[in-house]
Amino acid sequence: MEHSTTNRTPPGRPSRPRRSGEVWAHAASAFSRWADGDPAGLDDLVKLMTPVLWQVVRAHRLSVDLAEDVVQTTWLALVRSRDNVRDPVAVGAWLTTTARREAWRVSKLDGRDTPVEDEDLALMVPDAVSAESTAVDLDEQRSLWRAVDALPLRCRQLLRIVAFEHRPDYQQLAVELGMPVGSIGPTRGRCLAKLRAALAQAGEHDE
Amino acid sequence: MSEMSRDELLDVVHEVWEARDPVPAGLVERMQLVAATADTDFDLELMQLVERSLEPAGVRGVSTAYSLRFEYDGVHLLLRVDDDGEMARVDGWLTPPSPMTVRAIAMQGDRREWDVDVSDRGRFEFAGLTPGLLRLRLEPHGDSAKALGTPAFEI
Repeated sequence: MEHSTTNRTPPGRPSRPRRSGEVWAHAASAFSRWADGDPAGLDDLVKLMTPVLWQVVRAHRLSVDLAEDVVQTTWLALVRSRDNVRDPVAVGAWLTTTARREAWRVSKLDGRDTPVEDEDLALMVPDAVSAESTAVDLDEQRSLWRAVDALPLRCRQLLRIVAFEHRPDYQQLAVELGMPVGSIGPTRGRCLAKLRAALAQAGEHDE
Repeated sequence: MSEMSRDELLDVVHEVWEARDPVPAGLVERMQLVAATADTDFDLELMQLVERSLEPAGVRGVSTAYSLRFEYDGVHLLLRVDDDGEMARVDGWLTPPSPMTVRAIAMQGDRREWDVDVSDRGRFEFAGLTPGLLRLRLEPHGDSAKALGTPAFEI
């Protein structure tokens, strides 16, 4: 993906194609290899998709232990019901949907709405980054974090899921986030607009 | 200021969360182990983890004990995991009680195994377990029923 490199670029490095279809295509091919009898296919699938599952599960604000349980439950469900995934291309969506449904179930259990991450993570400003990054990078990263933090909780959850998933199912998302299904699209639009404005403002301060 | 596109904004969100809440160290490897094990264990039924709960902290203010509840087809298994000094212990309660041998299997390191029998009241206990990733295999006495297995859990 080519990006213009004018000095009007908003804070944030030019985006990398990490969210592109690549990971989903690799997942589909790993799944096919596994289904054809190659155990290394399963290994690769787990390696590719565990980081994605982690993000969508943590968007439900589960503690680290609970989130790990949900990720495991998801993998066990896939291994035990591999035949339910008819089309290898659908394996990514099958996994993220299963993981979010389980995360939602666990988060609904009594006394479980643990607001762990917001408070904890707010303090975690990025102060130790890789050696080659400059002070400018650091400032830039801080302003990105601040812009995301400034969003309302529902926006943070929704955008986090949308950023890591490939076309999430709005019907289920609506249940999980306690919103009418018709409002997911418009809410997503509003959340993106808020983030765009926050980043633009941060950019102006930096310049 | 040029307008950021939807995809650029989502890339920012992606980048921020990847940096601030990355997948925990070792999780990918643990999940590879768990998936590969389940993929080859055809002779047992996997119990489902229903609930995990932390025990309230004791008088000294720290408690590392927690409990796990598993279920499979009307069989319930409650585990309490605690540390025992350097080692870990697991107390189990099976309902309804039935004669079984429970095997604790360390999934990493020396891959040791420990066997105990379930009491008439459905109780069993393991002491002196090596901390790490563990799973249990419940083998019914007699050959009528299939063995049950738990997902892996950290002790």
